[in-house]
Parts: sequence; structure tokens; C-alpha cells
Amino acid sequence: MGSLEHANWFMRIAFFAMSAIIVGSVILAQRGRAMFIRRIPGLTAIEDAVGRATEMGRPILFSPGLDGINIVTLQALAILTYIIKLAAAQATRVIVAIRSPTVYPVAEESTREAYDAAGRPELYRPEDVRFISDEQFAYGLGTVGVMAREHVATNFLFGGFYAESLILTENGRALGAVQVAGCPDPTQIPFFIATCDYVVIGDEYYAASAYLTREPTLTGSLVGQDIVKAILIALAAVGIGLTTALGPGHFLTVWLGGGG
Amino acid sequence: MALLRSVWSLFQPAPNRGVLLAAIVLAAIISVAILYALHRTLGPRGRRWLIALVTFLAGLFFGLEFFWPVKGDPAKNFLTDWIEPVSTMIAIIGAFTVGLGIYSLCQVHGRNVAQRRPGWHNSLTFFAAMLAMLVFGLWEHYLHLPQPLPEVVPWPKGIYEILFNGLFAPLQAATFSLLAFYIASAAYRAFRIRTAEAGLMMAAAFIVMLGQVPFGAWLTSSIPVDAGWAFFRLEVLGEWVMRWLNMPAQRGIVFGVAIGALAMSLRIWLSLERGTFFTEQS
Repeated sequence: MGSLEHANWFMRIAFFAMSAIIVGSVILAQRGRAMFIRRIPGLTAIEDAVGRATEMGRPILFSPGLDGINIVTLQALAILTYIIKLAAAQATRVIVAIRSPTVYPVAEESTREAYDAAGRPELYRPEDVRFISDEQFAYGLGTVGVMAREHVATNFLFGGFYAESLILTENGRALGAVQVAGCPDPTQIPFFIATCDYVVIGDEYYAASAYLTREPTLTGSLVGQDIVKAILIALAAVGIGLTTALGPGHFLTVWLGGGG
Repeated sequence: MALLRSVWSLFQPAPNRGVLLAAIVLAAIISVAILYALHRTLGPRGRRWLIALVTFLAGLFFGLEFFWPVKGDPAKNFLTDWIEPVSTMIAIIGAFTVGLGIYSLCQVHGRNVAQRRPGWHNSLTFFAAMLAMLVFGLWEHYLHLPQPLPEVVPWPKGIYEILFNGLFAPLQAATFSLLAFYIASAAYRAFRIRTAEAGLMMAAAFIVMLGQVPFGAWLTSSIPVDAGWAFFRLEVLGEWVMRWLNMPAQRGIVFGVAIGALAMSLRIWLSLERGTFFTEQS
């Protein structure tokens, strides 16, 4: 049939409970409840990296990764929007290297809107949002070519990356660019840690828009997801205790599996 | 004449055409026209509501299909049969954007050639390569259709073979093989022991790498497999590091990422995220 798998009862209850906590936290934040976000060095470094490009009078390169339009890419575009607003205020050029044709029009629109929002629409150059290639390694090498020809001072790599990540960052490093990367995929994080100056790890990636903009809606959502995480960690601890005491197959594992 | 007939047959309607299909196509065209007209005529506030409504309905469709109770074998609910056509529709809309991508490439490289910028000959090569792959790729494709075009001349297939299997595939493989060198240089920098964390990483990497190769097994082969301290055989120790240290850390990251993705999805579905993307939050 080609359809998705369907939810069991536990998934239904868990989804609605988690959604209620996140949306509830958003509503609280919108009503003015003060919420704390810890410092995330990788995201704090974005401002410094943009400043460095400005001082050197050289452009910035942003890559939203290989994925098509999905949650990972949309988060990357949210970060791109923030970077463009920062760069536009300092009249620094941002080149966006695109791999997926479906991402291209969305990136183009968000880039244009970001320049408008920064009050510098005249800085927007359509050719700076570039479709490179939809082939993985052609994209990798094409983007490295842009880095070299445009003498970029800073590389931002946020999105879904795979085997080409090392090609991008090793060459970026050889060209002397400051590199800030973020990827939710645990298999790529070690490559970025080895080659980049700052790396945003795991769920910090999804905290980026809240951390950078401090908008109540996004901050509330971030705090909501932390509450959900704490509840799930507690559930895991209870599960470990029960499995140790009673052995596998107790009521919690049956319930989590959607049966019983 | 045979060639023309074959080309014409490619543009004929699908064999399962009927009133329902025509009605669906007509409804789709009318819906798109109405949405486009609304998008052009509404003010910024109305346009924002329109986008929020369409986003919500699209998300609701997939959400309902996943969460609504299912019956029968194969298990399905009242929306399951629509998943495939809707997914196909999304893929077709996505395919339109390939044209935009090609336009972007032509814009950048066309300007390079027109203004004789440094390296303009590379841009010229791009146009030649794109044209060659387009012509011979399509030609090759039509030779493999259920009712293929007559093979008027024998060489298009040969040229396609040279371009794809003789040029493109080896270039991809060569690029992939470069990774071995990049991994070596990145690993050299990462494993230099300058801090306590780098030292720990070096030790873990040393154990895991030696545990994967026969030399590592040979180094600790004097420890009997059934001895109490067999845990210190390098292949066992390497496996332990991967299963009991690496895997929980990876799962912890995936756990956080999944919840982050859920929060982000909710923000987009309920149009709470729009402040970050297209318009400032009011």
C-alpha cells in the first residue's frame, strides 16, 4: 500500500501529552513567563563569525545541507534568516549553496525576506542563492569551488550532511575560513567536531532559533521540549529499575509496546 | 514517420483515464487557481492566515492518517488509500522546482560567460556538459520505454555510456575516495593529546581501531577466551566501548533530536514558527 505505519495507543497518548506540554509552555511564554536558556557556545559563535567576515571584507557561505524540505532543513533556513539579518546590518555578503531543488525557492524567498526585514533590501542579490547540483559529491566539490573563488571568510554548515561533510569542512579549513556547523545526525557530528571551530550538537540544533531570536513563542517551545525530555528520562529510569527488579516483559514494556 | 508516431504516443493520456480522473485534474486546477487568486488579492494579514490554514490542513491529513485507528489486513483507515496519490502530488510539485534549479545554474554561469569573468571557460563547459547529458540521457531513456522509439542511429547509447559510466561514475568514485585522505588528516588533528578529553578520545579510538583488525586480536591473544580477564582482549574491549559507551551516547543524542523535531514540527504545523521565517512576529 505504501502507507506509513500507524500509531498504537501508547504513541497516541504520548504524542498528545508531549504536544500539550510544548504548546502549554509556548502559551505561558507568550503571557510573559520568564524562561531561562543556558549558554550554547556554538550558537554564540555565530555573531563572532559574522563579525570576522565583516572585518575581513569577505563573504560568508551558508550551506543548508543535502536534505530536501524537511524539519532539519527548515531549522537550517531559520538559522540562515538570522545570519542574513546580522550580516545585512554590517553590509556583509552571504552566499547560500543549495543542493535540493525543492529547497531552492524557499531559501531564495527567506533570504529576500531576511534582507527586507533587516531594512537592507538593496543588498539582496538573486545570484547569491545558488543551486549547485543535486548530486552529493558534485554539490560538495561545487561548494568548495565557491569557497575558493569567492574567498569566503566564514562557513556556516547547518542541515542534513552525509559523506560530503568532510570534503566541505577540510577544504574550508585549508582555505582559512572560520567554520560553525550543526547537524542532528550523530554519525556526522564527529567529523564536524574534528574539522570545525564550533559545533552545535544534537538537540541544540533545534534550540537555535529560540536561542538566537529569544522570541517568547520559540523560547516557550524550547523549555516545553526540555520538560518532555525530563519526563521521558524519568520514565526510562523507572523502566531500568523495573526491568532490573522484575526482568523483561513487565507491565511497562507491554504498555510502551502499545499492547495490554 | 515511425519516429514521429512514437514521440506523439508519449504525450497521450494515461490508459486508466476516465471521468473521475478528469474531475480530479479539473478540481486540482480550480483549487490552485483559487489559492493563487486569494494569495494575490489578500492583504499581508489575510495571506498569513491563508498560508497557516493550508499548512494546518496539510499537516492534519498526514497526522490523522497516522493516528486514526486502523482495521483489517492490510491495516488501514479512511485516509490510508489517499496517502499514495497525495505523496505523488507532492513529488510532482517538487519536480517543478528542478526547473528553478537549472534556471539558477544558467543565470550564474551565463553571467560568467557573458562578462568573460575569470574561469568563464569552466562555465562554458558546464553548458556543454548539461546539454550533452540532457540530449543523450533523454535519448537513452526513450530507448528503454515499453514502446521504445526506433533506434535510428546506433551511437547515442554509446555516447551516453561514455558520459555516464565512463565519466560521471568514475568522477563520483574518485571524489568519494578522497574521503580517506580527509579522514586521515582530520583524525590526526582530533587525536592530538592536548586536553584530557582529547586523551580520552585517543584512548577510545586506539582500543576500537585495534579491536577491529587482526593485529589487535593478536596483541592480546595470550589471554584465554574463557578466562575471567578475557574482557581485556582488545576485540572484546573494542566491542564493549562501541556497545556500552558509544551506543547510549548516540541514543541520547537521537532522543533529544527527536523531541526537538517534534517541537519544531508543532511550531510549523500550528504556524507558530512564522516569526523566524517570513514575517516578524507580531
